[in-house]
Amino acid sequence: MYYGMLAEITGHAEEVWTANESLSVGSFRALMLAKYPELQGKKFKVAVNQKISEDYAQIDTQAEVALLPPFAGG
Amino acid sequence: MEKIHKPKKVFVQGPVSPQFIADAIAAHQSKTTIGAHAIFLGQIRADKKEEGTVTGIEYSAYEEMAEQAFHKIREEAFARFELTCMHIYHSLGLVPVGEISLFVFVSSPHRRAAFEASEFVVEAIKADVPIFGKELVEGGAHVWKENS
Repeated sequence: MYYGMLAEITGHAEEVWTANESLSVGSFRALMLAKYPELQGKKFKVAVNQKISEDYAQIDTQAEVALLPPFAGG
Repeated sequence: MEKIHKPKKVFVQGPVSPQFIADAIAAHQSKTTIGAHAIFLGQIRADKKEEGTVTGIEYSAYEEMAEQAFHKIREEAFARFELTCMHIYHSLGLVPVGEISLFVFVSSPHRRAAFEASEFVVEAIKADVPIFGKELVEGGAHVWKENS
């Protein structure tokens, strides 16, 4: 799922990725940047199953992954 | 004694109205152990950007994750401060300049806990809750807001 500015850049709010095996958040980021070069230089966090996750964390094949731009609540 | 605080609905569509805030205050008159309320209201500023003057902010959120984050903030505030009750409301959708997008209302027997809890809650919301803001500027352009 994409939020805020990132939904604008990718052109959609949701997308299904099919992965045959689990991959790390770091490799997922690399895949995203390859698919959407405009993401280069944009700050975003990756939430896996609604939890902010670091690059070393694993994403299992059924996970809900969200790309979150900087927060702006308040 | 540990109290259970159920997750509460935080998001409201559009601005938080002054009447809503007045009604929330009135609803606490029967809670006579309270000696101090602290209220924080976030209001939309007409910032001047390179693209033009801001006319409003359109909020969106990763709602499920945001509700969990709000719940965690509530639990933590109750654990850290002597609070009688707490209410948080945040807008989704368009909030024009001059209107209220965040209403934090904490109540305590004493003022110190109320002041401190309100600051804690507001700072935590800004840092930890996945809410996104599109600042609309005159002429139709927009800029994505980022909390500092």
